[in-house]
Amino acid sequence: MARKRRGRGAVTAADEKYRSRTVAEMIAKHREFAGFQNPARALYQTVRELVENSLDATDTKRILPWIYISIREVPRTGSTNGARPWYVVTVEDNGIGVPRTVLPQAFGRVLYSSKYVIKQTRGMFGLGVKAVTLYAQQTTGSPIEVYSSTEGSQYVYMMKIRIDTSRNTPQVLEVGEWGKKVGWKGTRVSVRIEGDWRRAKSKIIEYVRRTAIIAPYAEIIFETPDGEIYYYPRTTKKMPEPPREAKPHPHGVNLEDLREIVRATPAKTLKEMLITEFQSVGEKSAEEFLSKYGFDPDMNPKELLKRDNEELLVKFVEALSQFKFRSPKSDYLSPLGAEIIREGLKRMFAPEWVEAITRPPRSYKGHPFIVEVGIAYGGAIKPLEEPLLLRYANKIPLLYEEREDVSYKVVKSINWKNYNVDFPAPLIVLVHIASTKVPYKGLGKESISETPELESEIRNAVQEVARKLKVYIARKTREEEAKRKAEALARYIPEVAWSLAMLSKPPEKWSPPKPEEVATFKEKLIDIVASKIKIAGMNDEEVRRIVKEIADSVEVE
Amino acid sequence: MSGGHEPFVDEVDLKARLKAARIMHEKFSPLIKAVLDGKPPKLVIPKRTLANTVFDPERGILSLGEEVLEREFLDLGESRRFMQTLLMAAIIYQSLIENEYPTIRDLYYKGKHTIVYRDMRGRRREENTWDEQKESDSVIQDVEVYTGLFREDMLILSKEKGKVVGNMRIRSGGDVIDLSKLGHGAYAIESTADLIEILDVDAEFVLVVEKDAVFQQLHRAGFWRRYKSILITGSGQPDRATRRFVRRLHDEHGLPVYVITDSDPYGWYIYFVYKVGSINLSYESERLATPKARFLGVQMSDVFGYGSKKPYLSEAERKKFIIKATDRDIKRAKELLKNYPWIYKNRLWKREIELFLKRKVKLEIEAIASKGIRFFAFKYIPEKIETGDWIE
Repeated sequence: MARKRRGRGAVTAADEKYRSRTVAEMIAKHREFAGFQNPARALYQTVRELVENSLDATDTKRILPWIYISIREVPRTGSTNGARPWYVVTVEDNGIGVPRTVLPQAFGRVLYSSKYVIKQTRGMFGLGVKAVTLYAQQTTGSPIEVYSSTEGSQYVYMMKIRIDTSRNTPQVLEVGEWGKKVGWKGTRVSVRIEGDWRRAKSKIIEYVRRTAIIAPYAEIIFETPDGEIYYYPRTTKKMPEPPREAKPHPHGVNLEDLREIVRATPAKTLKEMLITEFQSVGEKSAEEFLSKYGFDPDMNPKELLKRDNEELLVKFVEALSQFKFRSPKSDYLSPLGAEIIREGLKRMFAPEWVEAITRPPRSYKGHPFIVEVGIAYGGAIKPLEEPLLLRYANKIPLLYEEREDVSYKVVKSINWKNYNVDFPAPLIVLVHIASTKVPYKGLGKESISETPELESEIRNAVQEVARKLKVYIARKTREEEAKRKAEALARYIPEVAWSLAMLSKPPEKWSPPKPEEVATFKEKLIDIVASKIKIAGMNDEEVRRIVKEIADSVEVE
Repeated sequence: MSGGHEPFVDEVDLKARLKAARIMHEKFSPLIKAVLDGKPPKLVIPKRTLANTVFDPERGILSLGEEVLEREFLDLGESRRFMQTLLMAAIIYQSLIENEYPTIRDLYYKGKHTIVYRDMRGRRREENTWDEQKESDSVIQDVEVYTGLFREDMLILSKEKGKVVGNMRIRSGGDVIDLSKLGHGAYAIESTADLIEILDVDAEFVLVVEKDAVFQQLHRAGFWRRYKSILITGSGQPDRATRRFVRRLHDEHGLPVYVITDSDPYGWYIYFVYKVGSINLSYESERLATPKARFLGVQMSDVFGYGSKKPYLSEAERKKFIIKATDRDIKRAKELLKNYPWIYKNRLWKREIELFLKRKVKLEIEAIASKGIRFFAFKYIPEKIETGDWIE
């Protein structure tokens, strides 16, 4: 499992210990911050943290993911009483693995990080698997069990790890080491926790499914406590470009961020700090900025941390947000790409039509973002009274609080009639927002707030794809019309041909019409009907062949 | 049985068939040519809608207006009807040539096919050429207006409703029939009224009575012998043959035509069917209507008197025979007065209907007849004819 750099970790040696310990204790105390507020949600959150870690260890490292998920109910042990069932959640991947030396830190220390960067990650809480470790030891007293091996390593390591919350340090309870006989690499994590499968079931199954939708390049196996197996085979080898790390944009930092940056920077002057620690700032813009707001370019940045300079620090942050720097770079965002969205929707829903787009990057308050939208229509999709909305943020499915979400608002407000869609309709809309900072609505981080830039971008994206859908449906309607016409007319041809043959002979020289006489009229009528029908994607001969086929199939009883 | 097995040949019939068949062939030839030339086939048919029904005040009949509809095979909304029209025409044509005498019911069965076909997805589908007789009847009317031939011209038979007796001789199917020598019976007017040859007529007028029962009473009372006349009934709403026969007697023999119906909106309507034609089938009026037919009675003034005219019924008799008009009668009477110019523009008709609306009562022919058939036959009718007490 990759160690994850989530959010903005602490840095300086002096502060790290203190800050980390508070966080570990705080998380242990207030589980809801990490999404563990009740046993059902905790089970869901555990699966989620482990699966997202696995994906980060694979697709962001250009490895085609193979992910195995299992939840098993196990008997309660020890002196703990209470009725809540226990589960062992196991997630295994074929990722890059975690080196032996890093294992304890990665699983047993909250906010393990050493460098200040921003990056689009799947992580939601900056806590990740460590919150799982904490929850396990709190509810079942069990450590987290990790097997891992990296690509070049000769060994597979095993460790059982818990967190010493008072000191926020990992405690390794057991270590194992085996020589590798086969080429296995990756990570397998098992954790025993209290949970509530019955309540969490539908959400977890849906979570795995939605994860699979946007990862058609992954092979995912999921075994439930009920003994069911959900298997999502890999249908493409194309993967999205992994996200790259980037420095923060001046518009995107707040007071706290700036403190962190100042603490961490090796720069000796303000000017140097601006140029080296921020993106979109060059020699020239740094000088302009500093002179415009009256800062000394040669001032040591650490001066800003002094208690007396608090006001100066505030002034600096405000100036940063006001000055017109170049727009934030977006090339470190990692969109899914239209091809993967299309493939995912196609694989999961077998629609008759699917289209997706990745919009150009935009930004809000210094944070770049990209909106991607996919629409699937018809085929095996079940018609519903409104579009089925699939929401994603940084490649993570959002399942809760749908009606609070900006995407829901946009999709709901669109007049689908204008796009030839009449509800109930088989329509699925997928919205993915990739950003270094997703503007979540609440602590739960399950819905995205109505940021104007985001809202208008989502609207543009949905409309852009919907316009293509409109063209498709219009064409389909025309085609069906043409086909109906071909059918409607062709079926009458034999009767009309017979009648014409009958009437074509003058009474004086009348004899019953011969089959070849009827056939002449029939062929002529087929020509006439075929020449008046245009079916897209069919040439005149094909249309004639269809008309003839139907006319020939007629039997008059 | 004596005689050979030679089939009976009716020359009149054969000639009529050949004539109708020629016209049909001629009328459909342009369409056939269009198809052979690869052009989309279409039928141009006068519209049979109410909106296209006009009253011709010059001739005093209803007829079809100028509006036509183009029934194109390639028009999805019309293709089925196009197929039906051609199918019906072909069946009728075949019947003409093969010496058949179909009724409209026969034609319905003859053309009722099930079209079984495979659609574009290869599914088996079925469709009937027509489902109910109403549908095929309507198609027959289309063929009639398209070809300008009546069903009778095309030797299509229907139930005979009309009856006639009187001093006249006719030839039908090769037989000469004396209509004064039928005992208590009468001659049933055949569907093909135009194929009747009228040999000679010794009468001064034609009396048409709405009801069969009244017809029988007048016949037995010897009405037509005493007043040299031809007595006819259509047994209620007259069929086409009866109307055509009345018209021929008027046109070909110059006989005035008097009509007696009930004194209510339904009776009046029957009179107007003889006189101007039926609204639904206005295309027939050209040859079926008798614009000069006179409404002899029963009139409102016969019951209540008017001006110097004395009523035929006493106060007591009136009470005995008159019936209260229903709401439907009233409504219908108002419609007649409002919608039909040949009624509201006629002073006497206006008076008649307004009187009805004022009194709100109606009277059946039987009311007068029950006073005594002799009174009805030998006083009421002759007196009214003599004094010109009718409405035209």
